[in-house]
Amino acid sequence: MIKQTDTELSLRVFGAWATLILFGLGLVLIALEFIFHRHGETSLEDMPLFPAVFGFLVFVVIVFGGVILRKLIMREEDYYGDH
Amino acid sequence: MAITDLTPGLYMILAAVAVPWIPHHFRQIFMLLAIGLSAFGLSAGEGVHWSIPIMGQELILHQSDRLTLPFGIIFHIAAALNVIYGWHERRSMEHTAGLAYAGAAIAAVHAGDLISLFIWWEVTAVTSVFLLLAVGGDRARNTAMRYLLVQVASGVLLIAGAAFYWRETGSWAFELMQLGSLGTWLIFLAFGIKAAFPFLNGWLQDAYPEASAIGTVMLSAFTTKLAIYALARGFAGTEYLIYIGAAMTVFPVFFAVIENNLRRVLAFSLNNQLGFMTVAIGVGSELAINGAVAHAFAHIIYKALLFMSMGAVLHRVGTTNASALGGLYKSMPYTMVFCVIGAVSISAFPLFSGFVAKALIMSALGYEGLVVIYIILLAASAGVLEHSGIKIPYFTFFGHDGGHTVKEAPFNMLVAMGIAAILCISIGVMPTLYYQLLPYPMAYNPYDASHVIGQMELLVFAMLAFIFLIRCGLYPPEIPSTVLNTDWFYRRLAPIIVRPVISSLLSLAAMLDRIMIKIGTKGINLARIVSSHPVAGPVIPGPAAVVQLALLTLIVAVIYAVFA
Repeated sequence: MIKQTDTELSLRVFGAWATLILFGLGLVLIALEFIFHRHGETSLEDMPLFPAVFGFLVFVVIVFGGVILRKLIMREEDYYGDH
Repeated sequence: MAITDLTPGLYMILAAVAVPWIPHHFRQIFMLLAIGLSAFGLSAGEGVHWSIPIMGQELILHQSDRLTLPFGIIFHIAAALNVIYGWHERRSMEHTAGLAYAGAAIAAVHAGDLISLFIWWEVTAVTSVFLLLAVGGDRARNTAMRYLLVQVASGVLLIAGAAFYWRETGSWAFELMQLGSLGTWLIFLAFGIKAAFPFLNGWLQDAYPEASAIGTVMLSAFTTKLAIYALARGFAGTEYLIYIGAAMTVFPVFFAVIENNLRRVLAFSLNNQLGFMTVAIGVGSELAINGAVAHAFAHIIYKALLFMSMGAVLHRVGTTNASALGGLYKSMPYTMVFCVIGAVSISAFPLFSGFVAKALIMSALGYEGLVVIYIILLAASAGVLEHSGIKIPYFTFFGHDGGHTVKEAPFNMLVAMGIAAILCISIGVMPTLYYQLLPYPMAYNPYDASHVIGQMELLVFAMLAFIFLIRCGLYPPEIPSTVLNTDWFYRRLAPIIVRPVISSLLSLAAMLDRIMIKIGTKGINLARIVSSHPVAGPVIPGPAAVVQLALLTLIVAVIYAVFA
């Protein structure tokens, strides 16, 4: 078994805490959405939980878009021969 | 002539001449004093303060109004931050170039006519190229030459456009223009190159990450925001800008996801931020122009902060490649905190500068009913969070242990980052004060419950998406690579096409050369015969005259054949 460094261990702990806090924040925001009856600049935004769903989906689409783009335009580091 | 009448920025350019001869620490103090003296010129108030009559027109060298003021202020702040950030650098080249470059950008903002604008436009190009050359080596020289070519091309288009515009309108005053004539299109294109419009953007991502740690910070503030200022003055309300800007917000986001060099990621991010400003200028309402200016102002600070933090990492670790970094939060905790402040500012978290600036643009779009553009910009906001909000701090300071044990950034770098971070927060928590700097008076509250909750939902759930992708192993790994960009057209495609053309032209030239030599030799022989047999009339000065005569006859014959 590969021994983890102290930094890696603390990064895992940090990651776990960050996940927990973000989940908590997400739940609080969903609750606030219904308490304050949020409205947006456009009628589309007025749909319940629109920013949450939109933010999550768009983020995933952007990352997968990047993965597809990588197949098309990624070249070796010394592509221009100036490294 | 009062001291404030001289163009702000001019003092900095003049001071830059003395910079190489001043000892290290005194030099930094001297530069700060020059910036302070230049900033004093901003107090001149609205109006024309310095103009020179020339060719029946006015060369307006210092004009200030509500649009020049915020750009004047932020350019001075950025210049001062650069001096502090680069305090440790003993060599004078970057300091000299940086001070003159900032001065030229400030002077350009205060130009009231297209000719003065062109002069300073070119000075920004010529001075900033030294920031790239300062790195040294072939790679830096090649990058610098590519950068200079593009910048000068922008200048040539600007002066050509100004000439046509003068002929079309009888004026070279720099004021609101309507796209339509050749002159206005050329000027628009010149601005578009420096604003990194789609397909004209390659120079930005090519050059900026190639400068030194302090050089990139200097470069990030001025050229592109000068272009944004120029668009706001010359083309506010031009509808094309809405679509151009929307494209600018979206495309760099995907490139930033896969780019490994984090300073290049920031260059893509810069492009995306310029898109938000361009859209707002295209909308052109008072709220939208306020939004564009507010965004440019806030952006200069948080982008400088992010570039500063990556510069500090480069300074200590020697690389900003995400594949080689990670876990630096232990070694560079203060830099990490400042980087995170820059990251949350650009991601538009409430209480930070990006939030109060971007809110104006989004509201302006909402008021104008531009729903599709609004949604595109909302999606681009999630993209900003991805590359600048998460990717930059995560892969540098967290992620995994990159195995680097380094010292914290130098004290002067921390001070500059600290000031920038304080400004990011101050703008975020005191928006009313901040909004007073903007061109048009307005009453706007970005902190209504709906807006705050909506924005936080977008950001928090996008971050949860990141956690989901990372934990599922779906987030693409960072790979040392080159991501092709629009500079490919002139770095790869153009040489493939142009090289055969040039070699054929060279062969043609060589052939013509041989023909000319033959004609010349025959002419000389003829001249010898003529001079050895003098006749009445003027004496022939020599064989050259005969050759010239033969050539002139040939040229006249060709011209006659073509035009007769």
